[in-house]
Amino acid sequence: MQERIRVNHLSRKFGTVLAVDDVSFEIREHEFFSLLGPSGCGKTTTLRCIAGLEQPTAGEVYIGGVLVTSVADGVLVPPDKRAIGMVFQNYAVWPHMTVEQNISYPLKLARAPREEVKQRTDKVLEMLQLRGLGKRYPAELSGGQQQRVALGRALVTNPEVLLLDEPLSNLDAKLREQMRFELKDLQEKTGIAILYVTHDQIEAMAMSDRVAVMNNGIIVQEGKPHEIYQRPANKFVADFIGTMNFLQCQAIESHGDSVKVRLQSGDVVDVGYQGSIRGKCLLAVRPEDVVLSRESGLRCQVEVGIFLGSFTEYRVRVGNDALRVQTSIGAQFQPGETAFLQIEKGLLFQ
Amino acid sequence: MDVTSARRAWLPRRYALDVRHALLLITGLFFFVIILYPLGHVLYRSLVSNGLLSLANYRAVFLTPANYRALWNSIWVSTCSTVIAMAVGTLLALLVVRTDIPCKSFLKILLLLPYGIPPFIGAIAWTQLFGPAGYISKLYTALTGAGQVPWNVYSPGGVVLVLAVYQFPVVFITVSGALGRIDTTLEEAARIAGAGLVRTMWDITVPLVTPAILAGSLLAFVGCISNFGIPALLGFRSRFFVLTTRIYSALSIPNIPLATAMSVVLTGVSAAALVFQRRLEKGQQKYTLIAGKSVNPQTINLRGWRMPVLMATISIAFFLSVTPIVSMLITSVLNYWGAPLSLASMTLDHYKYIARLDMVRRAFANSLFLGIASATITMAVGTFVSYMSVRGKLRSAAILDLLGTVPYALPCTVIAIAMILTWSRGPVVLYGTIWVMLAAYLVRYMPFSIRTTNATLKQVHPSLEEAARVSGAGWLQGMRDVVLPLTKPGLIAGWILVFMPAFRELTMSILLWSQGTETIGVAIYNMQDAGYTQIAAALSTIVLLVILAGNILVRRLSRGRIGL
Repeated sequence: MQERIRVNHLSRKFGTVLAVDDVSFEIREHEFFSLLGPSGCGKTTTLRCIAGLEQPTAGEVYIGGVLVTSVADGVLVPPDKRAIGMVFQNYAVWPHMTVEQNISYPLKLARAPREEVKQRTDKVLEMLQLRGLGKRYPAELSGGQQQRVALGRALVTNPEVLLLDEPLSNLDAKLREQMRFELKDLQEKTGIAILYVTHDQIEAMAMSDRVAVMNNGIIVQEGKPHEIYQRPANKFVADFIGTMNFLQCQAIESHGDSVKVRLQSGDVVDVGYQGSIRGKCLLAVRPEDVVLSRESGLRCQVEVGIFLGSFTEYRVRVGNDALRVQTSIGAQFQPGETAFLQIEKGLLFQ
Repeated sequence: MDVTSARRAWLPRRYALDVRHALLLITGLFFFVIILYPLGHVLYRSLVSNGLLSLANYRAVFLTPANYRALWNSIWVSTCSTVIAMAVGTLLALLVVRTDIPCKSFLKILLLLPYGIPPFIGAIAWTQLFGPAGYISKLYTALTGAGQVPWNVYSPGGVVLVLAVYQFPVVFITVSGALGRIDTTLEEAARIAGAGLVRTMWDITVPLVTPAILAGSLLAFVGCISNFGIPALLGFRSRFFVLTTRIYSALSIPNIPLATAMSVVLTGVSAAALVFQRRLEKGQQKYTLIAGKSVNPQTINLRGWRMPVLMATISIAFFLSVTPIVSMLITSVLNYWGAPLSLASMTLDHYKYIARLDMVRRAFANSLFLGIASATITMAVGTFVSYMSVRGKLRSAAILDLLGTVPYALPCTVIAIAMILTWSRGPVVLYGTIWVMLAAYLVRYMPFSIRTTNATLKQVHPSLEEAARVSGAGWLQGMRDVVLPLTKPGLIAGWILVFMPAFRELTMSILLWSQGTETIGVAIYNMQDAGYTQIAAALSTIVLLVILAGNILVRRLSRGRIGL
């Protein structure tokens, strides 16, 4: 598969702060790639370096196989000469232009013939369900519609890649979920490669083909969503992606593919683990990987339960440790009740 | 991929950056020649006596009775006016913003009116009302049968009161702004804690706006102490001098070293007040800044007092704002000064007369030229500097931005003296020409333009421009299609906001004018000074009309955000 974006050893320093620290990745044709991380992790700066809005202090960027940024060679193609589409967090829809004018602006700059401008603008309006709103001004549109105008403007020239900077964060929850599907559909229809920047792990997991998790300017893990969810590379990723219980423990015995650990409550648990680990470590357990019952396992105290629709989440106490566990409907526990839990799957971090 | 072709693509951009740097350098030089060098000159000259570095000039300021008395007069007159302005401005702001008084927006416009009137024109109007043969003085003697009025407008007291009239709107603006920005939940929390409305206002609201009250008062103080027109028109007759008028007479002797030393003292006092004011403003943001919420705050219910309070406020506002204008208008169409007020004694002769006067025509042409030139140049330079510092985030531009706003702390008198010193000798002699006046105007209005262009540019989110760039627009194209259309109303409003005060400027012009370079301000002042009350009134009326038109235009353009 052909690569659409390649980033090599990209760094960006602000004063003495390394906002982006030696970041490398590539995005292939038809791929939905997400940069995921907490605010200030450097994901937006990386995106802006790719767009040419920010000058990196080291590294290279290729778009569609063309070198557009190279600090070492002194190459810096300005943003208007890069074949990209971009949607900004606040949409940046020009308030003094109509929907049509906004969307057709890139085509006009590209000096497309009038017929083509009209035809392609109409096509985009159609695709984004904006038909009939072409003559309106942005102030007369809802947030979701403005978002679509921004998308249309980014897509109208059929760019190599689409850069999305937290495009859904200003929408309300319902609309956000709907737009997730629409973005995914859009990608299916156009086959465009998408670089998506977000701090919302659910969003990244739901839409991406591949995710790169960033923290402190560094890509800490890169992979398919389910890989990252199931095998987080370190404690940060484990904590950032999904819900995770962390328990201090002591490794006491190592077999080939499992380790016996002693929790602070004194209980001993078997955890699947490749390799050797000893001494103090951290046991990470997802709420859905714990089975709560009245029959067997570690003795625990139910503290509080929250009904969440398809399952109920309880907070239970094992010794001094608090754990969040999920049970499907069926078994109901009362606060104060003594129950038993089994850890089906866990991860160990040194 | 061929690396060399990509490198070529990079080159034009680097070149473009260099053009911007060159422009910044030129602007820097311009600021140096027009601002820094003249100011340095004033300071240097104040420290030189008989060719030697000494403090002799300052000794003259602080030890010669006529001089230190002027300094003392400046301080007490400004303090008294400020206290009055503070009390009146704060009270009216609380009344208008925080009670259920009707006709709020009308009251606001009425109370802000004096702010738009040139103080020296205001002073002339108040002499027409309260002077020996003034309308109100005559009314008083007719009603009481007394031989003469118990007041004298040409006195320190007159100076204090008229200054207060033209400075209280400053306090009113700052305090009502702060009252509108208060986080209303702070007050609501006090209500829930059990405090009544009045108690809440006293315990929560007033302490929260105290920094704003002080900041507004300090601005008013600076306005008072650097004002020339009012103490000149009301103080000269009784030989009552303040610093600005004393500098004016020192210059006409001429005793330039003394004038420069007094200028430095005046600058010191006003700059200290401004530094203090900036601190208060910054400190205030800490707890009253709220994120764009505009909740209607609870207002005190005046109940039965509503109408009486409204009537009282309207009468005060009318008296302070409208009567001077009406008096000006009447005087300008009266047959002769002191004629009975009847339709029979109305005439347009004064207007016809001034239309024929060469000096007046020159003054209009000069003021028009100075207004247009200074507004255009300051806005062009200001837009460029603001753009480079707000968007380009260039440190050199940020320094220029700061340098350009420094003259804000300089009283006009001081700017004029700096211009005289710099341009009356040396390689380029501009003194006596209109160019020295233009230079002074540019220094004076640069801070205004930089402030408005800064604010205007900040309203356009950077991503709007970046969106144009990723859509394929170059820097210039993005400017043309996105930045300029979005900032145009603000920039035009800013232009008018420089043009209007420049058009009627007095303080600098009176020190810099010579035969042929009279401005309208100078013409009005000289006519009034020479006793041609009605010519001065006719000219003032025309100026007021221009200001009115300008304000309406600005309000339209900024949709009510800027202007009166």
